[in-house]
Amino acid sequence: MQHSKTLDTLVGLFVASGIVAFLFLSMQVSNLSSFVEPAGYLVIARFDNAGGLKVKAPVTVAGVRIGRVSAISFDEQQFQAVVKMRIEKKYNRLPDDTSASIFTAGLLGEQYVSLEPGGSEDYLQDGSEIDITQSALVLEEIIGQLLFKKAGEKD
Amino acid sequence: MYSAAQTDNTVSIQNLSFSRGDRKIFDDISMQFARGKITAIMGPSGTGKTTLLKLIGGQLCPEQGCIVVDGENVHQLRLADLYDLRKRMGMLFQSGALLTDMSVYDNVAFPLREHTRLTESLIRTLVLMKLQSVGLRGARDLMPNELSGGMARRVALARAIALDPMMIMYDEPFTGQDPISLGVLVKLIKTLNSTLHLTSIVVSHDVQETAAIADYIYLISDGKVVGQGTPEQISRSESGWVRQFMRGDADGPVRFHYTDDDYLEDLFHTEEQ
Amino acid sequence: MLYVLQQLGYVTRQRLTKLGRGTFFLLHVLTGISDILRRPELLIRQLYSVGVLTFLIITVSGLFVGMVLGLQGYYVLSDFGAEETLGVMVATSLVRELGPVVSALLFAGRADSALTAEIGLMKATEQLSGMEMMAVDPVKRIIAPRFFAGFFSMPLLAALFSMIGVLGGQMVGVGLLGVDDGAFWSQMQAKLDFSDDILNGIIKSTVFGFVASWIALFEGYDAVPTSEGVSRATTRTVVNSAFATLGLDFILTALMFGDD
Repeated sequence: MQHSKTLDTLVGLFVASGIVAFLFLSMQVSNLSSFVEPAGYLVIARFDNAGGLKVKAPVTVAGVRIGRVSAISFDEQQFQAVVKMRIEKKYNRLPDDTSASIFTAGLLGEQYVSLEPGGSEDYLQDGSEIDITQSALVLEEIIGQLLFKKAGEKD
Repeated sequence: MYSAAQTDNTVSIQNLSFSRGDRKIFDDISMQFARGKITAIMGPSGTGKTTLLKLIGGQLCPEQGCIVVDGENVHQLRLADLYDLRKRMGMLFQSGALLTDMSVYDNVAFPLREHTRLTESLIRTLVLMKLQSVGLRGARDLMPNELSGGMARRVALARAIALDPMMIMYDEPFTGQDPISLGVLVKLIKTLNSTLHLTSIVVSHDVQETAAIADYIYLISDGKVVGQGTPEQISRSESGWVRQFMRGDADGPVRFHYTDDDYLEDLFHTEEQ
Repeated sequence: MLYVLQQLGYVTRQRLTKLGRGTFFLLHVLTGISDILRRPELLIRQLYSVGVLTFLIITVSGLFVGMVLGLQGYYVLSDFGAEETLGVMVATSLVRELGPVVSALLFAGRADSALTAEIGLMKATEQLSGMEMMAVDPVKRIIAPRFFAGFFSMPLLAALFSMIGVLGGQMVGVGLLGVDDGAFWSQMQAKLDFSDDILNGIIKSTVFGFVASWIALFEGYDAVPTSEGVSRATTRTVVNSAFATLGLDFILTALMFGDD
């Protein structure tokens, strides 16, 4: 039972490579920074139709991700979808007349919230609500409108 | 709690019964093992002699009766106390039961390393002393699979006495040994007993060797003690069974045939069907 | 008919008593953790024979599985013009499923069978019994270190498998088939979530390691102490660990990924 140095070394090597693999998976394969939720402030937006939007979907301005959707719920009084978004702290100079839209990334991609800054002097704060919103585009509705329009042109 | 006569015995078995499945292995037997003596348990194969050693060591539990080792009722001890008691018992298994992934040296050192906090140099001294007493100091670097059966048993013996126990149980120490190894083992058991003042329990069916070293002999068969006494008393026994066993006759009170029903009738029985 | 019922009852009773023995055995093994904390060198030794010796087969298999995933994924995805998502496909399948499951299956074949045979033979040659008579608890001294070694090795091996597999997929996809390297990684990073994918994969493999080591050691400890008994126990170990791994994988997948 004399324990040899080579044995210790090999076991050490094994454990170390396992840990390296774990770190590799955390850092390189997945985006660990998304797990450690950075402290940010909550902004609320109401949509008539949230479409296929999911929790953790990205919130972007000009194509840059500045936060994530943290909760989606339904308001029974106004029959609207209430989307809570957590915006990273460093982006604290969004005008309070910013508008929010739900877009789809690519034809089959997932849906995300895009913010369009307005011109106001005041900034959004924790708990602010975005008033101007544009709902998700539902494919069936677009096709329906298109057909309706075509039918109208014929007359 | 126990009378003065009983404390002279290292091990005392009282009214023990044990069965495996439907088969009764021990039926109300009592035995005494005197301190500092060699007591032999003899009997035909399959009479549960090894089972008896496991009962004494607390690895099995009896159905009835009790076993008292060094004043303690083995089967009423808490596990920690049982382990403490086992440190004072040595057992030599038939196969030796050496740990195959360790050298001879490490095998003998094993109980010392597990139970004591001695320094390596002190352990080395003790291990070499134990190996010297079985004559295998030179074999310390061999692995168990490089040993002959007799050598393995001697190493196991060195390991069994590593913690200086008060008693040793030998399970069939003579089986399958060539005459020289056998002579060595007989001598070792005798010497260890006298020099270390051990209580020895030898389970065996080798009549000559056992009778030569034992101070007292129990003969068991069919779960009962069928004869007991010093070797002289046993050899002068009037019992037919004892005489047959000690002389090794093929037929006698123990039948040569397994069953007693009529041979001819059994042969014709199949034809009737 | 009555006979069939009788047999069914008999088998059920046998299985249940075995499960009961196995549970007591497991509890006994778990109490051995105190001994391991006191003498970590016992664990180190077993980490060598359980983990280090399985290292090679895991890395080689991981590499090839990753390379095959890269090839096959490329052919399917290129039909939709979505080669860029090759990284997502390779990494998702490896991290979520193939890493934990395949490494657990390989582990059952390489390490578990050896554990069962070793313990079974120790029992057959009275080594365990001899240890008991030396007042050493074989479950704590012999079995517990092997159990914890298996338990700790499994997640490490699964992580290794996934990492090597992703690199193998990248080698084929980017190096051989010309997928853009940046897209390969960035799509992967955008899609794979640390807690949903990586952590769940690790949890899976930890569960597999726990169950597979338990099965292997219990089968060895419970084996009929003859050469035939040990060989049967070894076979049972490989079959049962494989079934347990696949069955548990289904349950865990349903629990972890069921809600989206």
